[in-house]
Amino acid sequence: MIEYLVFAAVFGLLLLGVHRKVIARIQTRPGPPVWQEILHALKFSFKSTWVPKTASGTLYVAVVLIGIGIWSAALFVVLAGESILILFAIYMLHKVVEHGYGLSSGSPYGKFGGVRSVISAASEIPLFVTIAAIHLFTGSLILRDITAYQGIHGPLLLIAPPVAIAMYIVVLSKMPYGPFSIVESKELVSGYKTEHFGVWRAGLAVTDGLKTFVLLYAFVAIFIGAVPFWAALVIMTAVLISLSFVCAITPMLSPFDSVTIQGLITGLMLVYVVCLWWVMP
Amino acid sequence: MIMKRKTIAYGLAASAIGIVVAWAALAAAIIPPFAAAMVFVIAFPVLVLFLGLWWRAPGGEGDIPFIGY
Repeated sequence: MIEYLVFAAVFGLLLLGVHRKVIARIQTRPGPPVWQEILHALKFSFKSTWVPKTASGTLYVAVVLIGIGIWSAALFVVLAGESILILFAIYMLHKVVEHGYGLSSGSPYGKFGGVRSVISAASEIPLFVTIAAIHLFTGSLILRDITAYQGIHGPLLLIAPPVAIAMYIVVLSKMPYGPFSIVESKELVSGYKTEHFGVWRAGLAVTDGLKTFVLLYAFVAIFIGAVPFWAALVIMTAVLISLSFVCAITPMLSPFDSVTIQGLITGLMLVYVVCLWWVMP
Repeated sequence: MIMKRKTIAYGLAASAIGIVVAWAALAAAIIPPFAAAMVFVIAFPVLVLFLGLWWRAPGGEGDIPFIGY
């Protein structure tokens, strides 16, 4: 199982490297090599590290440990085919962790990043509607049951495309350089990550790698179904490249617009779910 | 706040031993997968951070964070 953790962290970082490369090529820049994010994680591991004087030491360190821990747990939940409610509860916890990163450092940039992570909690609202819609179709929120349902009826991606689109937007909101990436906006230096450097930043990189892997793997499992592991990796890469295209051609929204658009998506999804509930036996 | 190298070495050793023991116990079917997963969830973050801290344990003095250009 530990091998899955290491693989997921490294492959997730590789996917983030591909993400940066694709965005750069679309914007006619050479871009960094695809393994750049892996090199970043290694580089930060060997940098001098301390805790800033203005930081709340315990929280400053604990949030990094908790960040890696919750996404490690999420990976095991997905691989074991357990409840997607647990997975999405972890997704919500990540929001608290982001807030903790920002508030623990004592830096105004980190604090603004932390406050924005609370604002961007709007991206979680489509998630609840997504869960409701999945349950309406499959009658279960256990990942094993959802993949079994797709084995009989075909991929949920084709059965309920609006649900897949809503989940796709949720994943998009977690991608760096995307339209909803207000927590790491450049006017805040690096947002909530600004004051986590050295080994702490390496821990953040591992968290990002695991998070990217888990969200994309969960997307494939929920909307495509049970596929061989190598095929899942190929589909995850394809989904990621499509996300990169969206990020490359979309400007970052202001916090207000970001919340408004995500609220609209939630409204549309609610209408869809109510219609489903009305017509389904 | 600077941790002593000895403390970091103990933390690193404890997390590494925890992972190896849980992995071996799982392979020998002594513990169920969820128990091994719990150990990994706790020990893996500690291993990641303490490995880097052990490498660069001397570190430096804390400073005032970057507050703008």
